[in-house]
Amino acid sequence: MSTQASEDKIRVINLTKRFGDLTVLDGIAFTVRAKELVAIVGPTGCGKTTFLHTLSKLMPATDGRILIDGEEADPRRHNISYVFQEPTCLPWRTVRENVAYGMEIKGVPHQERMERTDRIMDLVGLSSCADLYPNQVSASMLQRIAVSRAFAVEPDLLLMDEPYGQLDVKLRYYLEDELVNLWRKLQSTVLFVTHNIEEAVYIAERILVLSNKPTRIKAEIPVDIPRPRNFLDPKFMDIRHQVTELIRWW
Amino acid sequence: MSSSIANETVAATSGQEGFSFYRLVTNIYFLYAVSLCTFFLLWDRVAAWQVFGDSLARPHAVAGKLYDLSQVKFAGTNLAGHIWASTRRVLVGFTLASAIAVPLGLFMALNKYVNAVVKPIFDLFKPMPPIAWVSISILWFGVGEFSKIFIIAIGTFVPCLLNSYNGIRLIEPELYDVIRVLGGNRKDEILQVSFPASFPAIFAGLQISLSIAWTCLLAAELMNARNGMGFLIKRGMDTHQPALVLGGMVLIALMAWLSSLLISRIESRLCPWKRSIDNL
Repeated sequence: MSTQASEDKIRVINLTKRFGDLTVLDGIAFTVRAKELVAIVGPTGCGKTTFLHTLSKLMPATDGRILIDGEEADPRRHNISYVFQEPTCLPWRTVRENVAYGMEIKGVPHQERMERTDRIMDLVGLSSCADLYPNQVSASMLQRIAVSRAFAVEPDLLLMDEPYGQLDVKLRYYLEDELVNLWRKLQSTVLFVTHNIEEAVYIAERILVLSNKPTRIKAEIPVDIPRPRNFLDPKFMDIRHQVTELIRWW
Repeated sequence: MSSSIANETVAATSGQEGFSFYRLVTNIYFLYAVSLCTFFLLWDRVAAWQVFGDSLARPHAVAGKLYDLSQVKFAGTNLAGHIWASTRRVLVGFTLASAIAVPLGLFMALNKYVNAVVKPIFDLFKPMPPIAWVSISILWFGVGEFSKIFIIAIGTFVPCLLNSYNGIRLIEPELYDVIRVLGGNRKDEILQVSFPASFPAIFAGLQISLSIAWTCLLAAELMNARNGMGFLIKRGMDTHQPALVLGGMVLIALMAWLSSLLISRIESRLCPWKRSIDNL
């Protein structure tokens, strides 16, 4: 296991979060390898958002540690990126400026910032609306801007909180493909939270299933299906069924 | 890899049809014209039939009166002089008050200690109508320029402060989360989110303040003034010249409208992101 451990990018040890008497997260422990895309699924209200907030250090954990490359996670030092449930574009910046915004905060030099912005906007097809303001593009575009911004900082850890939960099915498939594509091209480490099991099986390398509150990790399911994945592939359906049973059981 | 699936399509369809009666009566501009003509015609008839005795001037009499005033001096200055006298008071009072109120509102929203010191005093004065200050300001500062500017400043202060304060208070917390997660500091939060996000609210406050400023000006000038548009109205009332009263009212409305237009222009220059796709 020592070779395995050296590859671990993220190590979460005994992560616990309590609000008074209410225990939301109860000793969560897992690891994420570098360049891995892990999906986290769980029943509604199991504290997924709290989980991400503590992981991203937006909210202090009651107990436990989060290590990135063996060091205590710190937003000032590490590159953590977060795609929120609601699109969070800054209305006063153009699409291009919104994509570049994360890198500005991170202090990426101007030249490199422009290059990376152009590259990502090309990848996700935002180039044509680069100079529009967020109120001039559709809701799905807004979420793509947020996803692009998150990838653009080349994060150590990219957290995504049901980013496509509000979108219709067709657009969702499209953006999931886009996400997988971005992740493979940019080689980021991604933690994707969703309540959509199909989505999880479609995009992830590995699925962590959360229990109901107090939340623990209930199971870990590797998804070794070659890409592009097919929803009707027997193996796909098998894993989907497996995850569904785990969530339904509580 | 450009995608068409989610791209916005802005389709402008303009049907070209021949002239028809239906199209004429549903034309917006035609209806505007009908509406205005009806209003002026009604006004003219009501005045001509002396519904209010001789106290309502006909529209052309008001226009004529304003033209006469622009040609000759009245109470020491011509029409432009009166307009400028009033506008200057509004400009000075409004600028002074907003220059203090807007930053103070921002400070209050950003710092809870500043807020704790200023808020109680502010809440004490907030519900008081600005015109209530007219008499006391004359007692304090006499009937000169300063007391008029003082009233305008008082009236302007409250909405300016409230709006810049709320402009920051009502920012969606997620916008801050984005910065925090990226490791940004407090300075980034304020410069990148707080200030730009509060701009529209500040401008809304300036608009409200401006209309209050004109109201306060009128109150001050009606009370005591030797020039200005409020003076014209007052003089028209005292000497029973309805054309002069109405002329003053029209002028003040015109100036209030122009100044609010100016603020809108400045806002759309400073906040280009508020454009919608319609007028792109």
